[in-house]
Amino acid sequence: MLNMITRRRMLQSAVAPMIVPSVVLGQRAGAIAPSDQIVFGGIGIGARGAHDLSKLLNYREARFVAICDVRNERREEIKSTVDQKYGNHDCQMYDDQYALLARKDIDAVLIATGDRWHTPLAIIAAQHGKDVYCEKPCSMSIEESWALADAFRRYNRIYQAGCQRRNGANFELCKELLKSGALGKLQTLYANVGPSVNWPPIPSRDWLAAEELPPKQVLDWDRWLGPAPWRPYHSSYVRGGWRNFYDFHGGGILEWGSHTVDLCQWAAEFDDTQPVEYEPVGTNTGPYQVLCRYANGVKLVMRDDGWDAALKTGSCSFRIDGDLGWVQTGDATRIESSENIKPLLRPTESASLALVNHVGDLLRAIKTRQSPKASAAAAANSHVVCHAAFIAYQRGKKLTWDPEKREFTNDEIANRMRSRAMREPWRV
Amino acid sequence: MQQTTQPTPAAQPAKPKPPEPPPEFQEGDIATMDAAALIRILDDAHATEFQKAKACQRIGELGPKEAVPALSALLDNDHLSVYARYGLEPIADPSADQALRSALPKLKGNQLIGVINSIGKRGDAKAAPMLAKMIFGPDPEVARAALAALGRIGGESSVVTLKAAIPKTQGRTRMAAADAALMCAERLLADGKRDEALALYASLSAPDIPQAARLGAMSAIVREETSIGRPR
Repeated sequence: MLNMITRRRMLQSAVAPMIVPSVVLGQRAGAIAPSDQIVFGGIGIGARGAHDLSKLLNYREARFVAICDVRNERREEIKSTVDQKYGNHDCQMYDDQYALLARKDIDAVLIATGDRWHTPLAIIAAQHGKDVYCEKPCSMSIEESWALADAFRRYNRIYQAGCQRRNGANFELCKELLKSGALGKLQTLYANVGPSVNWPPIPSRDWLAAEELPPKQVLDWDRWLGPAPWRPYHSSYVRGGWRNFYDFHGGGILEWGSHTVDLCQWAAEFDDTQPVEYEPVGTNTGPYQVLCRYANGVKLVMRDDGWDAALKTGSCSFRIDGDLGWVQTGDATRIESSENIKPLLRPTESASLALVNHVGDLLRAIKTRQSPKASAAAAANSHVVCHAAFIAYQRGKKLTWDPEKREFTNDEIANRMRSRAMREPWRV
Repeated sequence: MQQTTQPTPAAQPAKPKPPEPPPEFQEGDIATMDAAALIRILDDAHATEFQKAKACQRIGELGPKEAVPALSALLDNDHLSVYARYGLEPIADPSADQALRSALPKLKGNQLIGVINSIGKRGDAKAAPMLAKMIFGPDPEVARAALAALGRIGGESSVVTLKAAIPKTQGRTRMAAADAALMCAERLLADGKRDEALALYASLSAPDIPQAARLGAMSAIVREETSIGRPR
């Protein structure tokens, strides 16, 4: 009955071999049969998602066939983009994620909705047997972070978080310098969490004034809100102004820490743990820091230095300090370092290629069933760190955390903030 | 040495100011009120929807059991039911479980589903018999919520209920039953009940199980049987 095993069955199988030979996958020089392509659908593709999609569409190993969105204009924009790329009219539009996920021909979904939807949609996709690429931040709470990792382990599906810098050459070189011992014993990690002028650590709990709801076929407000608590409609939220409102957003620490704290965890190979102390320093309007410490004594400093700081390494920069030397890099690609490390630096490709590499990493992971660099488990851990720091900042006090018990050890209010209630009928 | 370098972005200017929340939708003093003052807002017939919503969220952080009656009274409110659960879910006192269980027969539709979800989140085993009766009710969304809650509650009786439900359900409801059973199996493994867990995984590897859950169960068996930590 061996000839009954199709390529798709094999890829979807939880017991597929860890590495699938290319001949089995049907890859031959220069040609990829449609049956060998990974078929994607998309849910909630806005400006950021369109950027992700543009990279995906350039990979011949991928084929994008369906878009689901609560906004009519977004559905039509994405369909137009995809159809134009492929020279056909095949991209199907949906306003119900279950209809898209029920399609057996779809192997994986690209999720780029607002943050509130990320975890529940990713879990629903896993329950439907789909692999997932999901934009960051991946979760709205500590509870959601663990639920995400649990679901993807339970279903043995591939999950790639939108933490593309893990596949950026300049970031990888910094990690390599730490791992090689060139930096000596790790002392301190620094994660830039963005300028507080635009990304305050504590978002607003206010509501905007009610506006008249548009017709449901133009915008389904109930679905747009999804798991977020109810509030009256205002067009600003839908235009992207949902950020910096607590019910939709985790503030500057989560917004950018989901990249840079994630880089620190990855570089230090701390993907399976979290710091045990979180001490907030500063105000909600000025430069601020959260000083963290891991159980092994290594420090993690989340800091608002503006994007550039003194070293001009660009947005989403992170720094590694060892007892023998230090390195720092960011989206400007350049790597700054202590003098003794400079001879070890080498030119790297542009940081802007990180997303291209990241999509390639996802496709490899889906084909081989091996974990991508930004797996659900890694994302859960780095997001828990950000949520814990966010909670410490809201509490305005130093919090201690037990990574094994997954709880704060010195503040019951902080423990109650590990979770957010979801609007009915949604759950994780 | 020469490095590939992109132009450093200029310092980010402040973004245009978003619309200003009107005074009646500003949290203000509610953020720092104590539990008694917050409960008074919930009990005040003249308090606005916004004030009650914010009071519920703040109560969820403080966790006072004295707020349970006032929160429970909002569980049937279209807009505020989620906020009421925001307040109830983190309250450790068993009166919060009792309030959620008592609300089950009084609610329907999404509000009922929300309460079921909260019960599942709190892992209230006393609710399991009531949830089991909902699996075959007329509303499939309620049935799926009840199945999910049973998965979170776990335990032997939930496993029996879920295994019995799988062949009697179909489509997304069967998926929900299988998902809940997978959760129970994980819990059994975590509790050191390896044989029971493997038996449940084996039953979830049957052909009538939805494919995603079936493959998840098969994967768990492989993972467990090849683990270096397995009994030898």
